[in-house]
Amino acid sequence: QNTERMPVTGVITGPDNAPLAGATVTVKGTTIATSSNASGVYTIRANSSDILVFTFVGYERLERAVGNNTILNISLAAAGNTNLDQVVVVGYTSQRKRDITGAVSVINNKDVANIPVGGVDQILQGKAAGVSVTQSTGAPGGPIAMRIRGVGTINNNDPLYIIDGIPTKDGINEISPNDIESISVLKDAASAAIYGARASNGVIIITTRKGKSGRPRVNINSYVGVQKPADLIKMANTQQYITAYNNAAIADSATNKRTLIPTGMIDTLPDVNWLKEVLKPALITNSQIAVSGGNETSTYIVSANYFKQDGLIMNSGFERVNLRTALTTKISKIFSMGTNVNFSYGNTRQVGSSGDGFGAGNPGPSVVRYALFRTPATPVYNSNGDYVDLPTHPEWFGDGLNPVGLAANTDRNFYTYSLLGDVYVEAAILKNLKLKTDFGMNFINTDYKQFFPTWGVDRHINSPNSLAQSTAKDFNYNWTNTLTYNTTFSEKHNLTVLLGTEAIQDRINQMSASRTNYTDQSSQFQYLDNGLGRITNGGNQDNWALFSLFGRVNYDYDGRYFATFNARRDGSSRLAEDNRYGNFFSGSVAWRIDKEKFMDNQDIFSLLKLRAGVGQNGNQEISNHAYVSVIGADAFYPFNGTATQGYSITQKGNPNVKWETSTQTDIGLDMGFLKNRLNVTVDYFVKNTSNMLIPYPTPPSSGGAGNPYVNAGKVQNQGVEVEASYNTDFGKDWHMQLSGNVAFLHNKVVSLADGQPIAAGRIDNNIFATLTAQGHPIGAFYLLQTDGIFQNDLDVFTHAYQGQNIKPGDVKFKDISGSEGKPDGVIDDNDRTFVGNPIPKVTYGFTANFQYKAFDLSIFFQGVSGNKIYNQVLTDIEGFYRPFNITERMYSNAWHGEGTSNEFPRLSWEGATNNKRPSTRFLEDGSYLRLKNVQLGYNFKGSWMGKISLSSMRVYVSAQNLFTITKYTGLDPEMYISDNGAGDGVKAVGIDWGTYPAARTFSFGINANF
Amino acid sequence: VGCKKMLDQPVQGAYEADKFFNSDVNANLAVNDAYPALLFTDGGSNAIWVLGDVASDDAVKGGLPGDQADFDNVDNFNILPSNSAVEAVWRRYYDGIFKCNVALSGVPDVNTMVSDSVKKSVTGQAKFLRAYYYFLLTSCYGNIPLHLKVETVEETQQPAAPQADVYAQIEADLTDASGKLPLAWDAANNGRPTKGAALALLAKVYLFEQKWQQASSTAQSVRDLNIYSLTNLFTDNFNQNKKLNTEAVFSVWHQTASSQSFLGNNLNQWFAPRGSLNGYGFFNPTQSLVDNFEKTTGGVVDPRLDYTIARFGHPYYDVDYDSSWSTTGYMSKKQIQPLSEIPATIKGDGNLNYEAIRFSDVLLIQAEALNEQGLGAQALAPLNMVRKRARESYLYDNTLPDFGTVPDGLLPDVVVTDQGQLRDIIRKERRSELALEFHRYFDVIRYGSAYANSALSDKPAFNYDQDKFFPIPQSERDTNKKL
Repeated sequence: QNTERMPVTGVITGPDNAPLAGATVTVKGTTIATSSNASGVYTIRANSSDILVFTFVGYERLERAVGNNTILNISLAAAGNTNLDQVVVVGYTSQRKRDITGAVSVINNKDVANIPVGGVDQILQGKAAGVSVTQSTGAPGGPIAMRIRGVGTINNNDPLYIIDGIPTKDGINEISPNDIESISVLKDAASAAIYGARASNGVIIITTRKGKSGRPRVNINSYVGVQKPADLIKMANTQQYITAYNNAAIADSATNKRTLIPTGMIDTLPDVNWLKEVLKPALITNSQIAVSGGNETSTYIVSANYFKQDGLIMNSGFERVNLRTALTTKISKIFSMGTNVNFSYGNTRQVGSSGDGFGAGNPGPSVVRYALFRTPATPVYNSNGDYVDLPTHPEWFGDGLNPVGLAANTDRNFYTYSLLGDVYVEAAILKNLKLKTDFGMNFINTDYKQFFPTWGVDRHINSPNSLAQSTAKDFNYNWTNTLTYNTTFSEKHNLTVLLGTEAIQDRINQMSASRTNYTDQSSQFQYLDNGLGRITNGGNQDNWALFSLFGRVNYDYDGRYFATFNARRDGSSRLAEDNRYGNFFSGSVAWRIDKEKFMDNQDIFSLLKLRAGVGQNGNQEISNHAYVSVIGADAFYPFNGTATQGYSITQKGNPNVKWETSTQTDIGLDMGFLKNRLNVTVDYFVKNTSNMLIPYPTPPSSGGAGNPYVNAGKVQNQGVEVEASYNTDFGKDWHMQLSGNVAFLHNKVVSLADGQPIAAGRIDNNIFATLTAQGHPIGAFYLLQTDGIFQNDLDVFTHAYQGQNIKPGDVKFKDISGSEGKPDGVIDDNDRTFVGNPIPKVTYGFTANFQYKAFDLSIFFQGVSGNKIYNQVLTDIEGFYRPFNITERMYSNAWHGEGTSNEFPRLSWEGATNNKRPSTRFLEDGSYLRLKNVQLGYNFKGSWMGKISLSSMRVYVSAQNLFTITKYTGLDPEMYISDNGAGDGVKAVGIDWGTYPAARTFSFGINANF
Repeated sequence: VGCKKMLDQPVQGAYEADKFFNSDVNANLAVNDAYPALLFTDGGSNAIWVLGDVASDDAVKGGLPGDQADFDNVDNFNILPSNSAVEAVWRRYYDGIFKCNVALSGVPDVNTMVSDSVKKSVTGQAKFLRAYYYFLLTSCYGNIPLHLKVETVEETQQPAAPQADVYAQIEADLTDASGKLPLAWDAANNGRPTKGAALALLAKVYLFEQKWQQASSTAQSVRDLNIYSLTNLFTDNFNQNKKLNTEAVFSVWHQTASSQSFLGNNLNQWFAPRGSLNGYGFFNPTQSLVDNFEKTTGGVVDPRLDYTIARFGHPYYDVDYDSSWSTTGYMSKKQIQPLSEIPATIKGDGNLNYEAIRFSDVLLIQAEALNEQGLGAQALAPLNMVRKRARESYLYDNTLPDFGTVPDGLLPDVVVTDQGQLRDIIRKERRSELALEFHRYFDVIRYGSAYANSALSDKPAFNYDQDKFFPIPQSERDTNKKL
């Protein structure tokens, strides 16, 4: 046996053949270790019986026997979900994935690289089972709805984000996707319970990139793309519109005298396609440069990023600049410390694009809605080049706003400046005992500025003109201390104990001001000083705080039996003193069946792990002072002509509010086949939310102040999640990786305060599309059910009474019930019924990656199924109640005699009152399958690269949203909440007021390392 | 201790409700907030004009077809509980009542931090306003829930009280208010209710209850205050420069171009013609209303017609009338201001007060109540005061043709004392005098089914028993299980 260790050398490369600098090589069972240099070259002393272990974060661990080799060139495969040795951040600490007892999904940078989107949350779409990510609309910089394991409450359902240890509910958009190293999604209570009071919606832990020891590495990553509108709704042209109008006017002539549009006029009228006028191609660019490096004791990374996405609609867009630094250093044998600071500037420009301008905080009338409404017979510009405002004949051509003029005259900006960072010190007091103290701050300053110019030729829109500005400063700090002890005893017992404290305090300051009457509308004078008219201003502050104690015990026996126990005690300033504290516990176990003796003789499973866990979490996302009624400044009244302030109860309180709690049970199975080339994870969970905080729906007769919260109500979510991945090489040059995930979800409201259902989703004055009620999913659609079209007089006569003047060709509704609770021969509000809901039953994603020599191709599909969308804007463009444009299909298919249609009613204004009643006529299947991203890349090779210090370079072309398979007839099935529904939260999603459509994007990118 | 202190984060910039009423200033701030529900700063949310007049035989919705379709549905008596006008009125005035109850909750006898004089004033104002809101609500909806204090979550559920109980509460509030309110306020407080306002409203409530004797005597007590009289010019009641005229018993104030908050009269835009005048074209008077105005045999019409209604051939303030503006051919002139006062660019920011109770109303209440008691002869005096002022427009309004002399036979003093005949005359007079001031439908219903069926004969869906009151709104039905 040769015992002398001789040098072994080689080059470590990644799957793209680019050298990996900083990869670790150890001789198994020894402390002999080294790392590769900038060219990927390593040298280590080993003997022929040794085994070398190659590890590098983000890549598969590899072991190779030395044998007689003196040169071992190694190619490390990229880590996928299959990498069971991967270290996963799970909350205050990290664990090997194979040891985890809870339900955790992990997404690595590589899985999401180069997808042209602005936000970290967006890149998670379709990547993890049970994590549903939906853009509210396609507007750049708009909000994203992230739902982990469904909608657990009618309150805030956003997960808690932990960015490098800093908890934040709203800081997610401050960081750039390019800075992400990995993301862990803690889905079940057993995993998330360590975060207690704010974890009931799951926790997303984001770890940003850190430097690695070695020579400075420079990474440049850049793409540029063009976004185009896709799948527009076909609207009637001028000829068709006029024909429809005149036919209806003739049909209604007995009851409703409307003058016909002279057909001779058609030749003089334009034919405008308004959707095309407002949705124009737009640019998207991203540039990132990062420099990182370090030595044995310190590492650093410095990066800068610029992202800019113009909107398809003029004056909408998003841009962000990020600067980031992360340093780590080992001060001594005992102490190490680090810091991580991210500064960002963002500018979101908004145009009203998904509502009707109704409600507070709304960006205003929607450009998209008017683009659908406005008849094609009115030009965009008049002969002077001004935006045409009111059509020459509003009685024929409607009186909606000119959408192009509206977009052009919208100047609504949000400027965000944020600083997110922390400093930590870690002390390895004893060999097994670590103390860590981490102080983090998150400061977000949001400035809003909007100028409302007076415009319009004959209507004086925004008169008098005005300027509104506000500034909000949200300052949040957290101080976390943890003590970790781990030990192994009797060889096979591994124990880790974690104890910690956390203090979080938050303060929001706001100021706002406005003035009216600007004599000069140019941007040079859009400052508060220059307004001559009404002056208003305001300011306020709000605080909250959270103090917590927590602990965790991880135990495993022989790598076969695992148990984890979490406890957390939270105190919140948001509850009255007596109800302030909540205790949250969880426990989970796992069993590595494949490690048992009886599994030795099988070669089906390379991994078989059974997991089970149960635990509780809280939700405190209610207003800061729900426990007390508050009297504050309210409205004004002009006594003797002078505005005089009044005070009243603005928010009703309830001294008894306490924690909302979710209890979750999870059973999971992790399976590996074919030497872990195929990995499958299956989870089943039941999540019960109890003591749900409900703004009690007080009767309008008891006054209009904000409703008090009560703890009443239970919601249940249950579901199954499957994640699978498969890796294979065929031939020498081919590599294929397939991965997919699917989640099935069932949501149900079990009980509500006094059984009182909650109506939400206003679609007309006092008419609501959804009802959150016992036994049904949150925000279920509650509408009349259509039953075809009346074909003849007898049909009308024999059917339940629907009101006056019902005629053949009108929509027929089902007589479901009546005031006595049974069908009564009258169609009224009692006939509304539950007809589906906006929560997808199934969400899924599928990714295929292929590599052939220097080429790589990735294809990513994503979709949802089983949800409904109420196509509200269809009530406007097919409801035919005012002189608005109609869809081409309505023009072609409207009922015009017995047997001509059982779907589209007759064109009639007198019939519109009946025909456009909120009903299943406008409720559509929201399922879709979307080819979210296709990317083709090429990795350059050659000796020329070394001459310019280029270690790797990849160029790629990519297409986003290339096609969508859906039955949905609106602009985009991927819509979540409209500007109108924002105040109703999850109670009113899936109501489409004409959404800002997602763009189809073609981009070209380059990624180079020096 | 440190963490306990950290977790104490009291509300900033507002009071916990039980700590607010600690000074005279704060008590006054609370009662100030009971007023804004009165305002017509938005024509859609204060839809009393729809229930009061569009439902009646005096006006139709107007505007573009299909626009505000629910207001048309009121006109046609195709009224669902979710009708937006029905919902809006309920919501708005009950919110006003809530604000009154908040103010009243802070000034009980035991609160020594608020002075007695301020307690008296706040109580008087809040009770007047609460009575005013309840009177409008019960006129619209009949039996309705009574909310009389700041309630716990459970107490917000209240059954509909019989209308008699609602009236009893209104009477009690107004009686208390009339003893606490001043005869007049100092200038800065114009707009707050006076003793006269409380008594005038009480007289009207008695009239609606058909308590004729109390109605006439209470109306008389308003007259006995000797501070109200009819203005020489009828139009002074609809003139931004005459807000403080002698006929204004209780006014809802508005202010154009307010320095803070929007406090303009928005009806100026809703009721103005579409097009270059920048209105919405709503609220078109009917031919039936036009025909109600008396004409002399010589063809001279009651001058109030052209003060109230715009029609072809007569100037519409500073422009010519265009017949295409209106579906009926007519537009309302009340709540409207000329362009010289409110240019088209700020059309929705009108400056007119809404005269909720005019002295002429008090006189007509008294006339009617007396006649109903069989005291027709006594009823003639207040009735003829109203007619005299109208005909004598010819003595004061120099824009009228042949200004200076009252045309022969115009609006002569009534001499009939037969109860039935006089009843018809008084009703006709009331309709002309108070036209388009949002009272008509409640009068029509009050006069009984025979009158109502005849007045609303062109509305086939109208059914007196069913439509005497508007339905309690759906949102209330959905949330109030005790209804």
